[in-house]
Amino acid sequence: MSEQQMGVTGQSDTTAQHAADHPGVDREVIEVKVDYLPAPAPFVRKYRDETVVDTVRTDAMTFFGVKDFQDRNIHKFFLEFEGHILENTSQTLEQLLGPHRRSAHFNLIERVTQGRYPNGLELPTR
Amino acid sequence: MASSYRPVESWVVAEGILRRTLDAVRPIGRSGREAGAFWLGRREPTAHIYTVVLPHGIGVEEQRGRWTVAPEVFGVVTRWAKPRNLCLLGVVHTHLRGVPPVLSWSDRNLGVRFPDTLAAIIGNGGDDSDHLYWGWYVFEDGEYRSLVQDEVRERIRIDPAQQFEVWKADAIGIEQLGV
Repeated sequence: MSEQQMGVTGQSDTTAQHAADHPGVDREVIEVKVDYLPAPAPFVRKYRDETVVDTVRTDAMTFFGVKDFQDRNIHKFFLEFEGHILENTSQTLEQLLGPHRRSAHFNLIERVTQGRYPNGLELPTR
Repeated sequence: MASSYRPVESWVVAEGILRRTLDAVRPIGRSGREAGAFWLGRREPTAHIYTVVLPHGIGVEEQRGRWTVAPEVFGVVTRWAKPRNLCLLGVVHTHLRGVPPVLSWSDRNLGVRFPDTLAAIIGNGGDDSDHLYWGWYVFEDGEYRSLVQDEVRERIRIDPAQQFEVWKADAIGIEQLGV
């Protein structure tokens, strides 16, 4: 079993506290798989269903060695699920998937909001 | 994690991939617009490229001085490619006549930034048919590095084998084209 398949990733301290306040609530565990087109292997990890989408997104980005950044453009990675780009990264996996789903398959894709420098014209120095 | 991937030492590209890439981008280049192609295969120390995906249509902007592919198109290609164990190994696109086949600032920063990803620039809107005269780059240590011609000869081998696949993709779907 590879490193990314071990354990269950939880949520922030706030959510952990929320769970502690509701000890009788059993949380579902969801196995998440994220593919990234250039990478040879997927990111796979188990999460509790109260985990927000952004946690999966950032964990997958770390796994694949990519990051959001801004230069003259804005580079941001998104998860795509069943053909839809997940703009709302604060929703939980339960909200996205429903209450009983145990697995989910995402794709990591990058959106670049471009600057104004087309090829062969003005090429700014870094 | 990305830094732990086994490096790609060389690429073997089916000759038909080169030909079909040129066939696709050249008419668009002659109309004064840039175009491009995705090269896919298995990521291995010797990476074999026997699949080309031609992004065209919805979600693909082929303009003078700019070729862009929307994230939705990448999503379509990813959903199709991963069950086939295919990775994106190279991105090829044209520069128009009068624009040198070198990566511009935009190319370097808007393209796929993943270790050992190839980037190739075909000059003269696709009319430069000899791949040795293309601009070749590989993404290493966080940036694209130019491959000199000797390195291109050494690390990129053209395979005359006829087994290759050609696909066309947009934001709606992907379909196979005849070879």
